[in-house]
Amino acid sequence: MIGSFRSELLKVTSTRLLLGMIIGALAFTALAVVATIFSAGSQGTPTLEDPAMVRGVFSSMGSGTVFALILGVIAMTTEFRHMTVTSTFLAEPRRGHVVVAKMMAQAIFGALLAVSCILLTIGLALILLPLKDHAPVEWDFVAQVAAGSLLTFALFAVIGVAVGALVRNQIAAILATVVWVLLVEQLLTAFLPKVGKWLPGGAANGILQAAGFDASTNSLTPSPFLPVWGATLLLIGYALAFAGLAAATTLRRDVS
Amino acid sequence: MAGYGHVTTGLPITVDHLTKQFGHRGTTVTAVDDLSFEVSPGRVTGFLGPNGAGKTTTLRCLLGLVAPTKGSVLIGDTNYAHLRHPATVVGASLEASGFHPGRTARNHLRVLARASDLPVSRADVVLEQVGLTSAAQRRAGGFSLGMRQRLALAAALLGDPGVLLLDEPANGLDPEGIAWLRGFLRHLASTGCTVLVSSHVLSEVQQTVDDVIIISRGSMVQSGSLEDLTAATASHIRVSSPDREALATALRGSGSSGSGSKVEGGVEGGVGVELATDGSGALEVTGLSAADVGHLAYTAGLELHELHQVRTDLEDVFLQLTQSGSEYNASIGATTTAHEGGVA
Repeated sequence: MIGSFRSELLKVTSTRLLLGMIIGALAFTALAVVATIFSAGSQGTPTLEDPAMVRGVFSSMGSGTVFALILGVIAMTTEFRHMTVTSTFLAEPRRGHVVVAKMMAQAIFGALLAVSCILLTIGLALILLPLKDHAPVEWDFVAQVAAGSLLTFALFAVIGVAVGALVRNQIAAILATVVWVLLVEQLLTAFLPKVGKWLPGGAANGILQAAGFDASTNSLTPSPFLPVWGATLLLIGYALAFAGLAAATTLRRDVS
Repeated sequence: MAGYGHVTTGLPITVDHLTKQFGHRGTTVTAVDDLSFEVSPGRVTGFLGPNGAGKTTTLRCLLGLVAPTKGSVLIGDTNYAHLRHPATVVGASLEASGFHPGRTARNHLRVLARASDLPVSRADVVLEQVGLTSAAQRRAGGFSLGMRQRLALAAALLGDPGVLLLDEPANGLDPEGIAWLRGFLRHLASTGCTVLVSSHVLSEVQQTVDDVIIISRGSMVQSGSLEDLTAATASHIRVSSPDREALATALRGSGSSGSGSKVEGGVEGGVGVELATDGSGALEVTGLSAADVGHLAYTAGLELHELHQVRTDLEDVFLQLTQSGSEYNASIGATTTAHEGGVA
């Protein structure tokens, strides 16, 4: 298992996949930080003098979770795409061990992705906030969101591996993931908030303790999501469910 | 973990009544049909058959990648999936395409070394063995087919295994590379390794293998030593004369004098004379040497226009064997249809 884990680490560091995902997540995060700061006070949103808006700026560090998900999906599906899965399963015929080792490795890379997003968010916020009048930065909140981001990114990368094991076609797996996160989940959360908090994205928001933007009152309200511990368990549950389903179906298939 | 330098001898491979069926859009395709054979250590065994014969499926069953429908496949006395350190027991190169195009050759091997709990320094050792040291830092995506074959072979050698399973290893190699591979495999076998090499071209491995296993449409056609197969190939003398009838009579007459050296069933006196099937009017003579035929024509005062020995190519025998095998299978099972993509 340790050998497989170390092998999985090297698989990622020996290609440009992680670099690509980091660049994508950083660009996405930077956009969220800049947009929050410069849209504050316009179109009916509160100004940065509202402490909730400053919190919102720092919450941007957790906005790129989809990249952690895609990182995990690609790490798994690339084995099938390039048929490296043959030599992977020859080295470790216990296929479940391979998937677990991959999940462990991707958890680390997901956390690494989070670290880059956390550092970028803090740096950008400290540069851009002084340009406007703003409420003081609540560093204990920033620390909380940073810890939440680490956990969420890591868990999302793990879920990505499980999804990839289930949907072996790389293009299909990435498409399904992106459509789910950016469309289906958003719609469900908007129209059925009670369902939304039980979805992976809702669980992520629970961990991040991100303030939900309430369109009806045009104000930032405390999150209606699960508590951190509940949301963490929920995400682990999603990872186990997908991995279990894959172990019972696709992982048993002939590799040919 | 096994020591390096072939301290361990190879294990035998046993395929016992192996059957593999693939479900494919509601129809069942039998890729391997009740196949049994053994592969001995210390010999190079050629696993031969046309494309789609089931060679790759058999190898994948042996390696635990494909689950047999029926029968068993053993390395020594255990399944591949139950080997504790598989890379140190069995090395396999299944296809040249199993590389991440963005990963360098050395990193590809390091990834595999780590997965098998081998020192990463083994990567450089096997790169040297297959002559890829200069390309170690290059991404595999830019490799030629020949280089990919060498890299796949390097991966198979990582754990210094006693058993090697190589699927079409000569594919894409230039003549120099094939010669090198031949020497390399002969060397491994001489150190006690079990070497199983698949190919769809007999001539490609003819000078390398000791034993052959020939399959067609998933079934055994012939197995045994290469010498046995070679002995089964016949040769004949092709001769033509303007006075064909007189020549034929002279040749047949020689049979009673007992000069025939080889007995062919149903032919009087051991000499066979038949009209060539190509319509040229030439005769095909068995049981006589070219010198015998020339001498007989000379004493009979006959003019000759053609006289030479025709040796049946081993490749032709191989083609005959595999073609008749496929006819046989087609006649016993209408459901057995060719399925090149999935089975090959």
